[in-house]
Amino acid sequence: MTTVAIPAPAQAATPPRSQLARKAFQAGKLTVFYGVLTIVGLAFIVPYIFAVFGSLKPESSILTTPPWVPPMHPAWSNYPNAFLSDPEVATGFGRYMLNTAIVTVALTTGQVFFSMLGAYGFARLRFPGREAIFWVYLATLMVPNIVTIIPLYTEMHYFHMVNTYWGVFLPYSLGTPYTIFLMRQFFKNIPQEVIDAARIDGAGDFGVLTRVVAPLSRPVLITAGLIAFVFSWNNFLWPLVIMGSQSHYLLTNGLANFNAGPGAAGYLNLEMVGALITLVPMLVLFVVFNRYIVRSIQLTSGK
Amino acid sequence: MALATVGVGAEPGARVSKGPGARPRSSGARQFAKALPFIGPSMVGVALFLVVPVIFVFVLSFMSWSGAGSFTWAGIQNWTSIFQFDNAAHSLGVTAYYVLLNIPLQTVLALGLAVMLNRKRRGMAFFRVLYVAPYLSTPVAMALIWFWVFQPQSGAADRFLGLFGITGPAWLESSLWAMPVVAAVNIWQYLGFNMLFFYAGLQGIPPSLYEAAQLDGASKWSQFWRISLPLLNPTMLFVLITDVIGSFQVFDTLYVLTSGGPGTSTQVMSIQIYNVGFQGTRYGEAAALSVLLFGVILVFSVGQFLFFKNRTTYEY
Repeated sequence: MTTVAIPAPAQAATPPRSQLARKAFQAGKLTVFYGVLTIVGLAFIVPYIFAVFGSLKPESSILTTPPWVPPMHPAWSNYPNAFLSDPEVATGFGRYMLNTAIVTVALTTGQVFFSMLGAYGFARLRFPGREAIFWVYLATLMVPNIVTIIPLYTEMHYFHMVNTYWGVFLPYSLGTPYTIFLMRQFFKNIPQEVIDAARIDGAGDFGVLTRVVAPLSRPVLITAGLIAFVFSWNNFLWPLVIMGSQSHYLLTNGLANFNAGPGAAGYLNLEMVGALITLVPMLVLFVVFNRYIVRSIQLTSGK
Repeated sequence: MALATVGVGAEPGARVSKGPGARPRSSGARQFAKALPFIGPSMVGVALFLVVPVIFVFVLSFMSWSGAGSFTWAGIQNWTSIFQFDNAAHSLGVTAYYVLLNIPLQTVLALGLAVMLNRKRRGMAFFRVLYVAPYLSTPVAMALIWFWVFQPQSGAADRFLGLFGITGPAWLESSLWAMPVVAAVNIWQYLGFNMLFFYAGLQGIPPSLYEAAQLDGASKWSQFWRISLPLLNPTMLFVLITDVIGSFQVFDTLYVLTSGGPGTSTQVMSIQIYNVGFQGTRYGEAAALSVLLFGVILVFSVGQFLFFKNRTTYEY
């Protein structure tokens, strides 16, 4: 009873066959496996292909030809046209892109820098109330974004920041609890000896942070920068409510405005150009920083 | 940590603190003053843009404000009018419907893909990257492309069905189909992202467990149900909670695809908050709706947490 030989279950389940049949069976299984993965993959890629084709079709054929048919005579002029600001067409993606760039640079720089300062404070300095304040930070992570949109708008109205760039990025630029939390974990693990050595060389807290802690924390700083950049680039609801005039629109707002424009669906080709110039920086970022993005996902899940 | 006072900020002649009794009253304040340049900016940010709004949204829900001028006290009037006039119950129902369409399918598909990709075969990394691409694509831009795909007749969906002689419904203009399309687009967008969590979870399960099960004659199927799934419990909790919270807040995709229409058939809470507040300039009522949504999200998060907390987590 105790030392029963283990019957190889795999062989028991599938009756013995000729080597050839087994090979064919294996090959079939592999084909199905990769077939399913490829079909799923196609579903993930097809919309991007439609957008590329559509962005190069003239207005006359964007709605009359199937989206999967490449443009016969690519209308390259769609690209400069979409960039130019033309109030009639309601698409000036050049301007929107500039606005998005300004806001994203300001938001990312501010968020990373001030989060870094805050994280250093909570990880490496000792002061009364440290735990309590940090607990408040963590508690705010429970608050969904949508819940604070209305009161935040009211606040910005009283700060006279409605319809300004400041209004868009300031609420997210002074350091965010989530990023501070991520960085704090990292900063805490830096050995005290390294910091003491810098202090003996005469570095103050700020010197320790910029010359020792920050260089050692490059991965988490890059991750934080990516989180901020992606958030700002994709942000839609907050700029939508805070940016009243079209000249202040971000790319996302410009894209969503197609319904309100006089051309509506007729200008889909230019809208596809807009969609692509919004997507390309994200996809480039994804390819370049793939490693860090997977890392940020692992950090989020706490594993 | 006493070493921390050496260096910058130490006034000439200031003694390095040797013990708690050395500078009884001022040392706390001094420490705080030294930390302030570091924690100050984020404290201002968290206070002004997170803590104050959370408190203020409750206060505002009992006040009346039209986007300019002064606030007036409204009592519970906002709360009665969101149910009687704005039909918040309908929006809550629509939101729940969206969450139900979205979460189960999304979770099952993400788990399925993760299981498929969790093997040592050629090209797995490629497919993994491919599936995550939508997550990093601006939702508004993708929603615009999908809007085009689901245009009646001229869109890719109807053209494709047309190849088989099927006439598609007017997807986004149909109160029956609009919501499933919105849910499908969101599933498309976040599937790969969720898959990554499950993938990471599966990678963390020691292969020895599967080897042991194999020796006991367990099929792949029962290995999944008896080993993978129970051990993925923490991942499942995390994915479900973040997805449910996210789904309750869905805005970008929905705004572009339907803006809550046709009629109010896809008007979820977040769209209603936007409409009542920024379109209707009734910020008091919008604040009341925000508080309502906050409450619903909290109840669901806590509920899910308790549900999964009571199930066993395994140490290995």
